Amino acid sequence: MTRSEGLPVPGAHTAQPAAEIDEVDLVPVRTYWQLVRKRFLQHRMATIALVLMLLLITASIVLPLIGGDAGAKTSLTQGPKDPVSLAAPLGFDNIGINIFFRLMRGLQTSLTIGFFAVLIIAGLGTTVGSIAGYAGGWVDNVLMRVIDIVLSLPTFFLVLMFVAFMGSGNVFVIIFAIGLTGWTTAARLVRAEFLRLRESDFVQAAKALGASDRRIIVRHMIPSALAPVVVASTLGIADSVVTEAALSFLGFGLRPPEASLGNMLTGANEYFYRQPLWIWYPGITLILVVLAASFLGDGLRDALDPRQRIEA
Amino acid sequence: MATYILRRLLQAIPIVIGISVISFLIVHLTPGSPVDKFRTPRVSPETINNLIRLYGLDESLPVQFGKWFTKFWTFPFDNTAWGYSFTDGLPVRDKIFARIPSTLWLTGMSLLVTVMLAIPIGILQAVRQYSWSDKIITTFETIGYALPTFWLGLMLKQTFSVQFNLFPLFGQNSFGKQGDLLDLLWHLVLPVTTLTVIQVAGWSRYMRASMLEVLRQDYIRTARSKGLAERRVIFKHALRNAMIPIVTLLGLTVPALLSGAAITETVFSWPGMGWLGVQAVTDRDYPVVLATVMIGGVMVIIGNLLADVAYAVVDPRITY
Amino acid sequence: MVRKDDGGTLLEISDLRTHFATADGLVKAVDGVSFSIRNGATLGVVGESGCGKSVTALSVMRLIERPGRIVGGAITFGGQNLIEVPDDEMREIRGNSISMIFQEPMTSLNPVFTCGNQIAEAVSIHGGVSGNEARKRAIEMLAQVGIPDAARRAEEYPHQLSGGMRQRVMIAMALSTNPELLIADEPTTALDVTIQAQILELMKALRERNRMSIMLITHDLGVIAEMADDVVVMYAGKVVEQSDVNTVYEHPHHPYTSGLLASIPRLGEKHERLEVIKGVVPNPLNLPVGCLFKRRCPRAMPICDVAPPFQEVAPGHLSRCWLTPAGGPPSVGETPGTEAALGAAAALSVES
Repeated sequence: MTRSEGLPVPGAHTAQPAAEIDEVDLVPVRTYWQLVRKRFLQHRMATIALVLMLLLITASIVLPLIGGDAGAKTSLTQGPKDPVSLAAPLGFDNIGINIFFRLMRGLQTSLTIGFFAVLIIAGLGTTVGSIAGYAGGWVDNVLMRVIDIVLSLPTFFLVLMFVAFMGSGNVFVIIFAIGLTGWTTAARLVRAEFLRLRESDFVQAAKALGASDRRIIVRHMIPSALAPVVVASTLGIADSVVTEAALSFLGFGLRPPEASLGNMLTGANEYFYRQPLWIWYPGITLILVVLAASFLGDGLRDALDPRQRIEA
Repeated sequence: MATYILRRLLQAIPIVIGISVISFLIVHLTPGSPVDKFRTPRVSPETINNLIRLYGLDESLPVQFGKWFTKFWTFPFDNTAWGYSFTDGLPVRDKIFARIPSTLWLTGMSLLVTVMLAIPIGILQAVRQYSWSDKIITTFETIGYALPTFWLGLMLKQTFSVQFNLFPLFGQNSFGKQGDLLDLLWHLVLPVTTLTVIQVAGWSRYMRASMLEVLRQDYIRTARSKGLAERRVIFKHALRNAMIPIVTLLGLTVPALLSGAAITETVFSWPGMGWLGVQAVTDRDYPVVLATVMIGGVMVIIGNLLADVAYAVVDPRITY
Repeated sequence: MVRKDDGGTLLEISDLRTHFATADGLVKAVDGVSFSIRNGATLGVVGESGCGKSVTALSVMRLIERPGRIVGGAITFGGQNLIEVPDDEMREIRGNSISMIFQEPMTSLNPVFTCGNQIAEAVSIHGGVSGNEARKRAIEMLAQVGIPDAARRAEEYPHQLSGGMRQRVMIAMALSTNPELLIADEPTTALDVTIQAQILELMKALRERNRMSIMLITHDLGVIAEMADDVVVMYAGKVVEQSDVNTVYEHPHHPYTSGLLASIPRLGEKHERLEVIKGVVPNPLNLPVGCLFKRRCPRAMPICDVAPPFQEVAPGHLSRCWLTPAGGPPSVGETPGTEAALGAAAALSVES
C-alpha cells in the first residue's frame, strides 16, 4: 500500500497553517476606559438608569435650594384641598407642607445617607478585603471568621438596634449603622480578587522589580479589585436607601420635621383613607431610586468585566 | 459526610461565640443602663440597687457574659434560660417560642408559594428566551424586585383591606377564632403576598439564569442528539442540573424563616418573632433583643451548613 | 433498514446551505455543500476551524439552533429528505439510525446521571426495552468499547472517569442503538496522543463489526489518513476538493489541499522554514468575491475573481478551482465557462 509512506501519523500534525496578519483585519486600538464606556453605552437600560440617577441627584440638590423653606414650612392656610399648581405640583399635606418639595428634601436625605453609607462600606470592605487577600495565612483566617460572624447576624435587626440604642433620628448614626453592617460583602469580593491577583503575572513582575508590599497593593492590585467593589457599591446604594426608609417608616430613623421618604410613608399611611395618592409619591420615588441604582450596577458590571455576565 | 458535618459544627463554635460576644456587647454597651426605665421619682435608690444586683448588672462584663452564655444553651430544658422580659416579666423563652409558629406560618407559606411559582416561571423564561413572554416577565421581575417590602405591604393593606374590605386589617386571627384554619389562611393572604411578590421576582430570575446556563451546556446537545423528546431534555436532563443552585439557595433561606419578616410582621401586626423583636428594641427589652439576635445568628449558621450538605447530596461531583 | 455493503449511497447532501443571522451580520457557515457517504465507508471531512464542517454535521442531525437555520438544499437518507421530515420522525432517526459523538467528552456527558443510565436511556428510547433489559445492554456496550469492569463503571458518574474512558462511554452510547451512520466530530482532538490511537483502533473495530458508515470530522490529516476511505476538504463553508483518500493525499488538485499537505513537516526531510499558507481564513462577514481562497493562493489568477466551477478533474475527483486537471491555467476550450468568466473578471478589474 502506498499509504504507509510519507503520510503523516495521527495526532502529530494538524492542518492548521501559520498565519500572516493581513492588514485588512487589524482593529483600531482603544484604551481600557474607552472600551468600558462603549460597553456601558451599549447597555440601553443602564444608560437610561444613569440619566435617571443623575436627574434624581440633580433634582435633590437643586430643588430644595430653589424652594427655600418650601417642604418644611407648615401653613395654616394651605392644605390638601388646595389645587395643584406649578409651585406645588403635588399639592399640600394636612399641615400645609408643600408635598413635592418635601419629597425632594426626603430624596436628598435618602441619597445622602445612601451615598455616605456606601462610602463606608466600600472603604471598610476594601481595606479589610485587601489585607485578608494579600496577607493570606492566619491573618486571612481571622478576618474571614470576623466576616462570617458579622454576616451571620441579622442585618436589618442589627441596624435597627444600633440606631435605636445609639440615637434615633441621628443621620450620622444611621449612616454609620448601615455602613458597619454592610461592609462584609465588599470585603469578600475584594479578598477574592486579591487572592486571584496575588498569583498573577503582573504582580509577580512588580515584586521582581523590588516594589514594596504597600506599593503593590495600592498601585497595582486595588485598581483591578475596584471593579467588583464599584458594582457592589452601586447596588448597595439601593439597599441603603431602602434600609433608611424602612427605619424611618418604623419610627427609628428620621422623624418629622426631618424629611425622609420613609417617614413620609408613615404619614401617608395614616391619611390613606382620605388621600390615597400620598402613598404613591414617596413609594414611586423610592422605587425609581432602586431601579436606577440596580440597572446602573448591572451596566457597570457588564462594562467593567463582560466575562462575569451570565447570559441574560 | 458525617465527618464533614462534624467538622463544620466544630468550626461553627468560634463563630457562635463571636456572635454571642457581639450581640452581648451591643446590648450592654449602649448608653444608659437597662434599669434606667425604672428610675422614676417613686422608686427608691435601694430598689434600683436591688434591681441591679438582681439582674447581675453589678458584676464585670466578662462575668456577666459568661453567666449569660452558659445559661443560654439550657433553653431546651429551662424556660428561664433566656431571662425575663423587661416589659412584662415573662420568661423570654416562652414569649419567643409562643411566636415561632406564627412566623413559621408566614414565612413557610411564602417560601412554599415562592418555590411553586418561581421555578416554573424561571424554566419558562429560559426555554423561551428572547420571546415576548420572557421580556414581559423580566420587566415584572425587575419591578417586583425593586419594591420595598414595607411599601408593598402598605399598598396591599390599604387597597385590599381598607378600601375594598376584602381582607382583614391586621393580626393573625379574628376575635374568638383562634385555631380556625380558614380564618388563619384568610389573614395570611396579604402578608404572604407581600413577601412572595418580591421573593418570586428574585428567585425566578435566579432560576432563569441557572436554567439558561445549563441549556448552553454540551450535554444538552448530546441529549438531543440521542433523539430524546424536548420535554425529556428539559425536565430530566436540564432541570436536574439547574436545580442544584436552587437547592443551595433553599438552604440559605432557612435562617430567613425565622428572622426575615420583621418589617412585614410590623406592617400587618402579625404576632411573630420579628415584630416581637422590633417592639423589644423600641421598649429597650434587652433580654428579648439579645435572644432574638442570637437565634437569628445561629439559624444562619445552621442554614449555611444545610446549604452545603444539600449541595453535596444533589450534585454527585461533590464529595466531602 | 437493510445494511448494504454494495457501495451504494447511504447519505446524500445536496447544496446544503445553513446560515446564521448574527448580531454582526449574516454568516453563511455552510454555503452550497454537496457530498455523499457510501454504505459501509468512512468519509473524512477536513478543514480548518470555522470552515463549516461541524455545522454540516449538526445540519444532518438537525441540531442547528437559533440564530442558525438550514435555509436550503436537501439531505437524503433512507429515501427521505431529512430537512423536511417532521420533528418526531427526526427524533426517531437521531440517536437511532444516525448517531453523533462530540469533541469534549467531559462536558458532553450529563454530570448528574451515571454512565450506565445515560447509555440505557438511548437504548430504552429507541429500542423499546426498558429497566433491567436496558441496563444489561448498557453494560454490554461498555464492555464492547473496552471498558474493564463494566458493571461497576456503569454505576459511576462521568467525572469519575478519565478522558479516554469518557469518550468510550460516548461511543458506547452512540452505538448502543446500532446506527447505520456515525457522525464523529473531532472525536480525538481533546485526548492525549496515546489515547487517540486507542480510540481510533476502537472505532475501526466497531466499524467492522457493525458494518457502519462513519462521517469523521477533523482538522487532523493524520487521523484522516488512518481512518477514511473518502475525503472531503472544506473551506469557508464550501467543499473545495473531494475524492478517495489516496487521490487526495497523493494527487491533490486544489491549492488549498496542496498547501495543507505541504505544511506538515515530515521526518527525514530537511527544510529551513516550515511551509505555510499565507494569510488567514476570511472573515465570514466579509468574504471575498469569486474564489474564497484567492487571497492566499499561490496560483491565483485574474479569473479567480469569478467563482470557480466545481469540476471533475478526474473520475470521482472534484475540485473547486479554475486550474485544469493538468494544473495549468484554464483555456477557453477546455474548461466550460472560461470565456464568460474571463470577460467578467476583466470587467471587475476595470472597475477596481
